[in-house]
Amino acid sequence: MSQDRLSGTDGFRAAVPIVLGYVPIAFSFGVAATRSGLTLVEAVALSVIVFAGAAQFLAIALIASGVPALVAAFTLAAMNLRHLLYGPVLMRKAGADAARKSAWAWSFTLTDEVFGAALGALARGGRFGEGFMTALGFSAYAAWVFGTVAGGWAGAGALDRWPAVAGALGFMLPALFLALLLSMMNRRQIPVILAAGVATVLGVTFGSTTLGLFAGMAAGALVGVLLPGARNAA
Amino acid sequence: MRPDVLQIALIAGACTWAFRFFPTRADLGRLAPHGLLAKLLNALGPAAIAALFVAEVTPALSRPLVTQGPLAAGTLAVVLVWALSRSVVGATLSGALGYGLALALLG
Repeated sequence: MSQDRLSGTDGFRAAVPIVLGYVPIAFSFGVAATRSGLTLVEAVALSVIVFAGAAQFLAIALIASGVPALVAAFTLAAMNLRHLLYGPVLMRKAGADAARKSAWAWSFTLTDEVFGAALGALARGGRFGEGFMTALGFSAYAAWVFGTVAGGWAGAGALDRWPAVAGALGFMLPALFLALLLSMMNRRQIPVILAAGVATVLGVTFGSTTLGLFAGMAAGALVGVLLPGARNAA
Repeated sequence: MRPDVLQIALIAGACTWAFRFFPTRADLGRLAPHGLLAKLLNALGPAAIAALFVAEVTPALSRPLVTQGPLAAGTLAVVLVWALSRSVVGATLSGALGYGLALALLG
């Protein structure tokens, strides 16, 4: 797809690993939500309206523990603050003349994985296209909602008889991130990636996954700024 | 559906959408290519993806070494297939397959 405008078909193709990874995670969310006392409609509403995995799992705990609604809502929103950075990074890579007419729609689906897949496609030479973003994002969204419905409907234990399948599906997203990292890696980015990795390990080990992600992104960005020259582009 | 659950979903969803949408409207066309903000944005992409990968595998790395065969097999499969095919989708699916096979064989 080098130098070609990324099409809707490219978006569907790029979404395949995300779809396969999202369904079992969303399934787990559906199971956990209904087990914790949410109705199927409430679980699906969280997936349809929020569409943010980690925040949704936290929502189950907050709702089940009776935290006031406003406190819970803004705690969940705070978990997604890192998404503020994704738009500028993506649009910078897309170029100044990139269309944004439908950004109000496809940006709703700009999760970690969709951002990573889009950035990887641009880093490999594809030209930004809103059809690509729409197909990629809404495929992921459909998989997430479908997985939630299936999990809430089927209940726990549906994949218990096939632990290898469950394990393989669980590894889909780490495998996607690693493949994306390999696809955009060059020698100048190694210090950025190492700094991000070390800071993430420290953040996750001594804090939480969210803290680890913030720490990793901040450390990598800091090293990128301090590196001489500016050819560390993704 | 309970009103407080709907309220939580609507507020969290609206804030999350705002975080994702409004920054895409930023005018980045006039950024100096070697400027501080350009370097920051260029580094943030790889840093974010590295952080996401590491955050996913760090909990597994804290388990006993003997249980990490599937993680090693999956990771190796991703790297090998990427090196041979330069396909993100192929490398990802091979990584998951490698992980699942190793889990089935090693238990």
